[in-house]
Amino acid sequence: MMSGMESERDAAADGQTTDASEAQTEEVAMAAPDAAASESDVTRESSETESALVGDKLSLSYPTSDGPVVECDRIDIPRGEVTALVGPNGSGKSTLLKSLAKQLSPDEGHVYLDGQKLSEYDDGAFARELGLLSQEHDSPGSITVEKLVSHGRYPHRGFFEQLDEDDQQAIDRAIDLAGVDHLRDRQVSSLSGGQRQLVWIAMVLAQDTDVLLLDEPTTYLDLHHQLRVLETVRQLNEERGVTVAVVLHDIAQAARFADYLIAMQDGSVYDWGPPTDVVTEELLADVFRVDATVTYTPDPSILPNRSL
Amino acid sequence: MSDAHRTESQSANPFGWIDGSLVSLCLASILVVFIGGLVQVSLGAFSMSLAEAWQAVFDPAVVSNPGVWMSLLLGGGLPDLTKQTLVVWTIRVPRVFVAILVGANLAVSGAIFQAITRNELASPFILGVSSGAGLAILLTLVVFSGLSAFLPILAALGGATAFAIVYAIAWKNGTSPVRLVLAGVVVGTVFQSLQTGLFFFADDLGVVQSALAWTTGSLTGTDWEQVRTALPWSILAIFLALAGSRQLNVLLLGEQTARSLGMSIEKVRFALAGVAVLAAAASIAVAGIVGFVGLVVPHLVRNIVGSDYKRLILGCVFAGPALMVVADVGARLLLSPSQLPVGVVTGLVGGPYFLYLMRKQQQLGEV
Repeated sequence: MMSGMESERDAAADGQTTDASEAQTEEVAMAAPDAAASESDVTRESSETESALVGDKLSLSYPTSDGPVVECDRIDIPRGEVTALVGPNGSGKSTLLKSLAKQLSPDEGHVYLDGQKLSEYDDGAFARELGLLSQEHDSPGSITVEKLVSHGRYPHRGFFEQLDEDDQQAIDRAIDLAGVDHLRDRQVSSLSGGQRQLVWIAMVLAQDTDVLLLDEPTTYLDLHHQLRVLETVRQLNEERGVTVAVVLHDIAQAARFADYLIAMQDGSVYDWGPPTDVVTEELLADVFRVDATVTYTPDPSILPNRSL
Repeated sequence: MSDAHRTESQSANPFGWIDGSLVSLCLASILVVFIGGLVQVSLGAFSMSLAEAWQAVFDPAVVSNPGVWMSLLLGGGLPDLTKQTLVVWTIRVPRVFVAILVGANLAVSGAIFQAITRNELASPFILGVSSGAGLAILLTLVVFSGLSAFLPILAALGGATAFAIVYAIAWKNGTSPVRLVLAGVVVGTVFQSLQTGLFFFADDLGVVQSALAWTTGSLTGTDWEQVRTALPWSILAIFLALAGSRQLNVLLLGEQTARSLGMSIEKVRFALAGVAVLAAAASIAVAGIVGFVGLVVPHLVRNIVGSDYKRLILGCVFAGPALMVVADVGARLLLSPSQLPVGVVTGLVGGPYFLYLMRKQQQLGEV
């Protein structure tokens, strides 16, 4: 219910920005991409990691929007790192994530996973490589936690195949990792919002992919469950080398949590790089329209003063 | 470790999904079908005592004679039997069998449509499939009477065409439950009008009567012929529905999740819709348009066994016949000697039951 409201609001915001973005695209195109491109080039050269996901000259729109919602020249999700997409409501971060997850095909440009165009992937094969946790998810009236998590094995199973030993191991591992073992036999509908989110994450983990995309996994959760979710993702990244891209609402949280940040504004990439480079008072003023004090200790920490 | 134990127990038992509530539902349904069936064969215009009727049902000359079964199921001559046995086995028993097949088909079809449209009010009837198949039947009876041998196939095609049109109208960069239901109303209305219009072109009263029986849903006069027509399609549709139950379960997780799990949504939805159309059309081909069964039975079963589709479909296969057989007992005997169309009775029974569900449950139809 909550996530449903959120998405509506997001969609509405996306709709609003389309008009504005058309006017602003040119301006942004003149100023930002040069800076962003040169900076990201430097970062790309200096880091040894290659990109798991690459978006090239993307132009994204929804059938209902009358113009591109997102336009970006180049976006990289570095392999084996945690990348956070941040930006204000309606900046196009969820839209961008959808296109990276093959849920939205770009009007122009291509997304590459491991060097191969997404459009060349078969649906099943793609789901074995990349998992996505959407913002909205419905669970049926009655389903146990274990059963829901077992659906994560869908892309690994043939049409008539039963769950085999490998599947069961992956399910157990995912339930373990998400820390929901004690909820295993509970009905999903009886869980709190935070527990439910962890269960859904377990389902995506059971998919056992090398790349994991999460769309606002912490929104509407209490602090405890926010941290639980982020710790689970971090653990997955560190122990199994999974590449993670996550949309986060809270820039302060993103700055502490992620290895890389992609800051979005009005449907284009404003800045890209490690949090210490990206999170500046200028960014908060320009992108988030917040007057804030940023201190580096050495991670950036943000003290918002007032809205601009 | 307990995990290892769990793994073993799960992979060792492929029937672990059959739980107590499902077994009780199935047993209760079988009991209802059995009792309803016995009432149905015992009473009727040809008077015989209860004992005579029961004797006829369990007449060893039929029950333990594979040759007779073969000729009943595949068509062919019957050996000499007593008059009672003939009445029971050639008139009353096949009617019960047809009711069983129709009930199972409609319930399974409704359950599938509810999942693929993610709408608890979806049924074959609401999405235009029934009226499409009905129109095809009327066209066959009135206009192309030479093709009546192909009635089941034509009914299936009519149903499929109607659903395809609903789909096409509802389609706008994907479908949505509301759009599907609205499109179903549009197509259903138009096809209903065409169907009614066709009555004017029927010059023979017999054709009109038979057409009326089709459109209200009736089991009057059904025979082994109808059993033979519906049985293979029913078996195929139910098998495919059970095989597709995992796809249905994943569809229930929402379109986005299903797609991110690698499901080719549109293909799967289309294929499952085909199965549902097949089931609905098979029942329409033998009994006409019987309303409400496809809507009510999945709800009833879901209430008892939960929303897992493997259990739900199997439950529907048993509970659908139970409702249908009981309704047909009412249809045949309530106003005896005249008979009501069974569709009238299913509506009379199903409507209030649905109201009861609606009142009792906070969240009706959390599919």
